[in-house]
Amino acid sequence: MPPSTVSYHMESWQHVQVHICRILGIQLIFLVGFGFCMSSSFVSCEVGGCTSNVGSTNQSLNIPPYFEKHITKSYFDKYDSLLDSDFLDFISHELFPGSCELLLDNLNLVLRLSVQQRSLIGDGSHRHLSSSFRFNIQSELIAELPIHFCEAIIIEKLPYGIFADPFELQHLLQRGVFMGAAVFGDTNLELPSVHSNRSLVEVHMDVDLNTFSRHKDGLEINIDLPLHIRYPPLEESGYSNIELGAPDLFMRCSIEAKSHNQSCLLMLKDNGVALGNGPVVWRVPSGIKAHARAVSIVTFISAILSTLSIVLTSVYYSSTKLCKNLKQS
Amino acid sequence: MDVRSLLLFSALLRVLLIIYGEWQDAHMEVRYTDVDYLVFSDAASLVASGKSPYQRSTYRYSPLLAFLLVPNSIIHPSWGKFLFSASDLLVGLFIHTILELRKVPENLCTCALMVWLFNPFTFSIGTRGNCEPIVCAMILWIIICLMNGKVLQAAFWYGLVVHFRIYPIIYSIPIILVLDPHCFLYGLKPALSSWVGQGNSTQSIPSTAVPESCGIWIALTSMFTRARIMFGLISGAVFFAFTGLFFYLYRWEFLHEALLYHLTRTDPRHNFSIYFYHIYLHYEHEFSVVERLISFLPQFLVQLVLIVCFAQDLPFCFFAQTVAFVAFNKVITAQYFVWFFCLLPLILPWSNMKLKWTGLSCILLWMGTQTHWLMWGYLLEFKGKNVFLELWIASILFLAANTFVLIKIIRYHTYSSLFQRLEFSSSDNDLKEGKKSN
Repeated sequence: MPPSTVSYHMESWQHVQVHICRILGIQLIFLVGFGFCMSSSFVSCEVGGCTSNVGSTNQSLNIPPYFEKHITKSYFDKYDSLLDSDFLDFISHELFPGSCELLLDNLNLVLRLSVQQRSLIGDGSHRHLSSSFRFNIQSELIAELPIHFCEAIIIEKLPYGIFADPFELQHLLQRGVFMGAAVFGDTNLELPSVHSNRSLVEVHMDVDLNTFSRHKDGLEINIDLPLHIRYPPLEESGYSNIELGAPDLFMRCSIEAKSHNQSCLLMLKDNGVALGNGPVVWRVPSGIKAHARAVSIVTFISAILSTLSIVLTSVYYSSTKLCKNLKQS
Repeated sequence: MDVRSLLLFSALLRVLLIIYGEWQDAHMEVRYTDVDYLVFSDAASLVASGKSPYQRSTYRYSPLLAFLLVPNSIIHPSWGKFLFSASDLLVGLFIHTILELRKVPENLCTCALMVWLFNPFTFSIGTRGNCEPIVCAMILWIIICLMNGKVLQAAFWYGLVVHFRIYPIIYSIPIILVLDPHCFLYGLKPALSSWVGQGNSTQSIPSTAVPESCGIWIALTSMFTRARIMFGLISGAVFFAFTGLFFYLYRWEFLHEALLYHLTRTDPRHNFSIYFYHIYLHYEHEFSVVERLISFLPQFLVQLVLIVCFAQDLPFCFFAQTVAFVAFNKVITAQYFVWFFCLLPLILPWSNMKLKWTGLSCILLWMGTQTHWLMWGYLLEFKGKNVFLELWIASILFLAANTFVLIKIIRYHTYSSLFQRLEFSSSDNDLKEGKKSN
């Protein structure tokens, strides 16, 4: 190929490259400007003050507006961390304002928790907590209650070392697995147990009491919650056992009152019904403290040996090449 | 196969992989798309709704990335993957440009290009939604700008890329050193060293010039040249301008997540780094300043020596520095490998290493130790076995493999300065009349 043709092709190719780069540069400027305009009304999220509320599908199901609130959200407005005693106080004094006593007393008679089973499915650091709850329903009584709509609310108080990924829950929400789901508390996905706090998962499931009342087996609620493990504190044995406590179960129903509809919340007690297959324990591998000294020493010796190898090779070969260059010149 | 056909075929491959990725995400339990892509996309949708991208937890990047992915919410969720794959192809184009400028024969250019375009790691990383190809493209463009004598452009892109991803800060000193007044005059296109065949150095040393061993000394004494000052000022200004802009928009959250987090990051969770188990075993107490300095010392020493020895051979210096930086980092994830994969084709034409058997042994050793680590990592994370010790030993072996490969590459590399030393004639007018570049 003659040199003039080669240089023509090279120049054309360079023009193409310049053109591509100009297009990319213009796009970059455009997008930066667009993003700048979008950011002019941003909402800042302070560290420690964020909750990962993945929202719910209330709008699409014609659910009353007073149902939108997650019942445990206000717990973290008042308390810094999740403690069982504080949460019991919260349930007793803040979740039950007292305006639905009559309905709640009646609903208590209607629903009886008969069976609950829980198990961890899977291996390793990523598992599913499978929970199943069955309630007996007295169908003749339920028809008399002025209930408009009901939902089951399951509160999982996760122990130290276990967390739920709010974005994973959002994905499940979008697929319609849950009606609503939210994670409150420590939602940092990366910290080990020693530097993290507990968190809480609130899941909402649609319940039609009238439909279930026609089934002889009663009402059954099944939940499959994906959970993940944090690195646990160091243990001599090399394993850490984390126990998952029983969830708190609620039924929230909207009732038709004379002046306006209202929601009533009922805590479903287990009435002494034991877990069908015992407590759920997650066995997690942990670091062994006895390794600490040896690991530190060997780590730094390895780093030093690698460093020395590279340094000596670089110095030797660069000076060898330099001498060779000087001889050639 | 010519370059255009290669690029077209590579583009088609990437489009097919993106389409396949969408299918796999919708139909299979294991997703093709990288988890990071979901983070970018969520952050971009927050920006599209006028919110801060840092409301998305684990979003630890410049807001620029979220801005670039805003079309994910407007056009199609795969927009970002197409953008990253296009950057990936741009890297290939830039590799070819750089080698062509240095007069590498076409067949070697094509082979080097194929090392990037058909590397399974490379074509999967962009199609899975990882943003590293954008960084690689910017770094190669900076090299091209320097080769064409365009200091201001190089400085602009350098400031931008350091804002985008902090690690290119390690290239600052070699760039400053390569702007040697004996090789590079501001406003003039520098003379590039050409490829003349493996085993032969292209460094020509005029008899009147100072021997190369004093190059560093001259660099120190004549540090403040116009090219160096302009490069430092412009790149610094661009970096601080973008940082200042986003600090104005997003305050401390931006500073902490996009910058400070990366500077202070110590992750106790398992990764390829030899330090992970040491960090986990000592995580309950804070590391002292002395401990932090000791762990930083190997990295610092290696970077310093590589710069001093190889700065003038800029592409090789970048490559060696990046391999060492990744190997000695406190956290190593697989996406970091693409940082040096994009530089590997730039040095291959100057390597005397034969594929049989030195080259093959390097490849097999590097991949073998990685696979070995992944096996223990799988047992720990997905089977719940306590294999922390075995996994840590696997990371030590991986460091050994990285060291071995780097040593071999240095051993077989034909040193070649990027720029030729300028011939100073009795009249300086010869230089002033030279081709202007800016």
